[in-house]
Amino acid sequence: MNALTTLGLLSPEILLLITALAVLTLDLIWHGERRTGWLPYLAVAGTLAAIVATLAIYGRGESILGEMMAADDFALFFKLVALSATALVILGARQHIAARARREGEFYFLLLSATLASMLATAATDLISLYLAFEFLSLASYVLVSYLRGDDFSVEGGIKYFLYGAVASAIMLYGMTLLYGATGTTTLRGIAEGLNRSAGPLASLAIPISIMLLAGFAFKIAIAPFHQWAPDAYEGAPTPVTAYLSVASKMTGFAVLLRVMVVGMGDFQPTWARVLGAFAIVSMVLGNLVALQQPNIKRMLAYSSIAHAGYIMVGFVTHGLDPVGFTGLNGVLFYAMVYVFTNVGLFLGIIAFENATDSTKIADFAGLFRRSPVLAISMCYFLFSLTGIPFTGGMFAKIFVFGPAMQAGPFGLLLAGIGVVTSVVGAYYYLNVVRTMFFVAGDASAPAVPVGRLVQIGLVAAAVVTLAIGVFPQPLVDLASRSAVVLGMLP
Amino acid sequence: MLNLVWLVPALPLAAFAAISVVLWRDRRAATWAAWLAIGASWLIAWAIFAGTWGQPQLATEPVRVGILTLPTGAEFLRLGFMVDPLTGIMLFMVPFLCLLIFVYSRGYMDGDPRYSRYFAYVSLFATGMLGLVVSDNLLFLYVFWEIMGLCSYLLISFWFEKESAYRAGLKAFLTTRVGDALLLLGLLLLYSRTGTLTFSEIFQADVLSRLADTVVSLPLLGTVPVAVLASLLIFGGAVGKSAQFPLHVWLPDAMEGPTPVSALIHAATMVSAGVYLVARMFPLYAAAGPGNGAMTTVAAIGAFTALFSATIAVAQNDVKRVLAFSTISQLGYMMAGLGIGAFVAGVFHLVTHAFFKALLFLGSGSVIVGSHHEQDMMKLGGLRTRMPVTFWSFLAGTLALAGVFPFAGFWSKDEILAEASHGGHMLVYVVLTLAALLTAFYMGRQVCLTFLGQPRSHEAEHAHEVTPFMYVPVAILAFMATFLGLMGVPADFPILGKLLGENPFHHYIGEMLTLTGAHPEAHGVNWPVMLISLVLALLGLFLGWLVYGRRPLEAGQPDPLRRVLGSLYPVLENRYYVDEFYQATVLRAVHWLSATFTAIDSRWVIDPFVNAVGRSFGRLASRSSSFDGRFVDGAVHATARLADAAGRALRPVQTGKVQDYLLVVATTVLLLLGVFIIL
Repeated sequence: MNALTTLGLLSPEILLLITALAVLTLDLIWHGERRTGWLPYLAVAGTLAAIVATLAIYGRGESILGEMMAADDFALFFKLVALSATALVILGARQHIAARARREGEFYFLLLSATLASMLATAATDLISLYLAFEFLSLASYVLVSYLRGDDFSVEGGIKYFLYGAVASAIMLYGMTLLYGATGTTTLRGIAEGLNRSAGPLASLAIPISIMLLAGFAFKIAIAPFHQWAPDAYEGAPTPVTAYLSVASKMTGFAVLLRVMVVGMGDFQPTWARVLGAFAIVSMVLGNLVALQQPNIKRMLAYSSIAHAGYIMVGFVTHGLDPVGFTGLNGVLFYAMVYVFTNVGLFLGIIAFENATDSTKIADFAGLFRRSPVLAISMCYFLFSLTGIPFTGGMFAKIFVFGPAMQAGPFGLLLAGIGVVTSVVGAYYYLNVVRTMFFVAGDASAPAVPVGRLVQIGLVAAAVVTLAIGVFPQPLVDLASRSAVVLGMLP
Repeated sequence: MLNLVWLVPALPLAAFAAISVVLWRDRRAATWAAWLAIGASWLIAWAIFAGTWGQPQLATEPVRVGILTLPTGAEFLRLGFMVDPLTGIMLFMVPFLCLLIFVYSRGYMDGDPRYSRYFAYVSLFATGMLGLVVSDNLLFLYVFWEIMGLCSYLLISFWFEKESAYRAGLKAFLTTRVGDALLLLGLLLLYSRTGTLTFSEIFQADVLSRLADTVVSLPLLGTVPVAVLASLLIFGGAVGKSAQFPLHVWLPDAMEGPTPVSALIHAATMVSAGVYLVARMFPLYAAAGPGNGAMTTVAAIGAFTALFSATIAVAQNDVKRVLAFSTISQLGYMMAGLGIGAFVAGVFHLVTHAFFKALLFLGSGSVIVGSHHEQDMMKLGGLRTRMPVTFWSFLAGTLALAGVFPFAGFWSKDEILAEASHGGHMLVYVVLTLAALLTAFYMGRQVCLTFLGQPRSHEAEHAHEVTPFMYVPVAILAFMATFLGLMGVPADFPILGKLLGENPFHHYIGEMLTLTGAHPEAHGVNWPVMLISLVLALLGLFLGWLVYGRRPLEAGQPDPLRRVLGSLYPVLENRYYVDEFYQATVLRAVHWLSATFTAIDSRWVIDPFVNAVGRSFGRLASRSSSFDGRFVDGAVHATARLADAAGRALRPVQTGKVQDYLLVVATTVLLLLGVFIIL
């Protein structure tokens, strides 16, 4: 493979890197001028260009940079997930960050860097590149969470996130060293072969090692019982960052988890599938029950995102229980994409509300329908999608993870059953927000909530995509299935 | 043409979206949007119906329009819409009735402050019902089923300022949810056993026989074939939607909604959905052989409900309430028909009943509007001369419901009775025949009290005929109620049978029975059954006239029936105290349970759990470091002390107990490692 092909396959990352650097430089040059208002447009344009580049190289499926990375469909799909999330978050961030922090160019730079790290992590097929990308993502995220330096909560959230991340990362790294010691290689493919070949005392290490690796991945995904940092970090972080963590960072964790477990630990599927199944059960139950009690919408959505991590995990566990074809894997991919548009869409609404009122208490949403009907209706639609009501992408996402689970033996049926029951619990707190917005009388004299132009664009885009998937999911279904199959076929 | 079937539910949905987003400010535009959408749906639906007429092969090979292909599990889940004769006949009935009711609503809802919202809701309601009948799989069916559930809630409590309306909506929603939960369980059972939810795939002979042969053991019931269990669970959903005993309590209260909504819910859409579901799943019911548990249950509940609610209807005084109980009773007929295996007769009655019951409801709505919102029959009377069009139309509906030759109800009701007697289900036959007598009696009572005699109140005295928007749909329905039954006249009926061809309805729908492996055969006229039911219908009407018509009641005079029935009358009047019974048992139990669970939740589980977690971490921490122990005891006060101790600089870090978090991480990993190393 020549260097030009490699560059072509890395073009999304390169485009994003150039954009990030351009934003940082221009922010320095333009500091204090009105022209900085162009920075978010530049950042979004760069992200969209990276999306186009990603779509252009779809279906090529090659290893690049030795065996460090793969530009296969699976990685590209998750790159699309991360890039879409980034574009939407940037649209929501402008007004919010400008009003609260001194410099906003830096914010876009960090956000784009985090996305770059996400893209590299989803493509990594070697423990070294994987760990580096993962840490890169974590470091950028820590800074983003504590971006509001003057705000105690933001800084507190960032430091907690950092401490927790450091420990999780250490455990994961310990697992990786053991893996290298056992197999003598760092490529996932080599590890699979090594574990297979040394079918003796070394193979018995595989499960303890995967548990250690899982600590790192589960931290990133924020799935119970590795979720405790999430509510504090989500609540303290600037709201656009909360949105970003709940989708882009989480889905990157899933991408890495899927690849390492399926490619590297494929021989031990039935065992780790049960561990992950237990995680899923705890997440769905705990996330939904605790979310019921939250008075702050950001904190509520933190628990909701823990619950959704559980739902998504059901799809992956199903694949682990019954690894025929692409069962359940495509559900994970489909869910990831739907969740991005639904959850960030909802967060955009919250950002607009917070910009006007400086509050994220659910009780303060009372009477929003009278104040700003369009905003209330669009938020209501995203909440419906999270609940899984028909004509939203959320419904098909649930069908896709619970449907296969129902056919995967008694354990799968148990997972699906718990998923369905806890979804009903979830409906209660989502619809409670709808009830508050529509039926609880608020301050009658409160003015309409102004929604900035960029946020408007983001809201419309997210709603249109969620609706399109809800009414006609076939294209995304095909894309997700195709991308999942690639992973299944890798040795 | 048949491939356009997806448009039928899509158009009202588009109208709903357009009205609720854009057109709601302009009443005229909202009306037209709803009318045009349902009108276009109706034209397409009738074109489809015409296209399926005379094509019996559609029963086994329906036209399917795929919407989604979902690769879930090992199989593909193919979901879409379809057309077969059963769908065809529903498409004949539902959009046409919806259209008439929409037109009627223009007059009835005139001047209501939430006029546009009303049309948005009813459009969505129409979407629910139309989508339900064209779905080719249980998943879509369930989705549309729930849409209807939502709309019924919204429409019944449409005038939510009224406490009673709000409560009625809630009651309807919650009661039908009980059935919906059972239906969902049935769906899950079928899906986990067959891996598909598509009708045509479930109704494959080998799939059905497998379902009938595998048995599951249940507590109390013993071993039950999967087919029977799934059928029973699905029937649970139908019991809720079609208001069968014991989930019938919501339907009479649903009268709180606007009257066109009552017509929509009680005639064309919602309650029909339950019967439609049983008819649609009929091959599954029949799979375990004739007389199996599922079929017997359907027949028993249907027949019991038919008689039970007919007796209640006798002692009701509200114009609409009589009709509500009559609806429950007639739905019981259909269920009983399906339960004894009389598929064609059950569906036939579903169709004819939809027309004449819509007529009766719209007629009663006209009465209510005409007499200035007086609904108590004891205060009406003498409307015959004041509202002639309404009277004659209502009379046609009454004769159809009572089953008088040659009105629509006569043919369909008689077919169910004939099948019951032919198949040897004598108990069902006797119960339904008794119910038929009562039906004729209470309808006679209603007509005499409402239209004959002298007005018994000021409102009735000044009643007037309603606007054309209202009486034209009623008159059209009267025409249909009179002649519609002719499409199902038995082939060997003198003159008419020959004239109308060999029972066209039976030919059209009967092919569906080939899915069950049976051969559709139309039985000839059963003269004794036919004559008995005709005589009883006339006798019932005559008795009604004898009590209420011969000597019309004076204002304030008590119901003569009260004297005749003695202490039985209050029991009937209060609907056997079923509502009160539920109030005293189920609701109280639920309230108690929820209060207890809340208490357990907050006092005995969550709080102690949180505290216990806090305490145990406190202990763990104190072992590792005595300093930690001071601020990790999970209580707010301790956190505050910690903050004081650690000083202001570290305050933001310390308050959230990161130490705890990390302890949990370490414990979890060690626990998992331990579990796997030991195992």
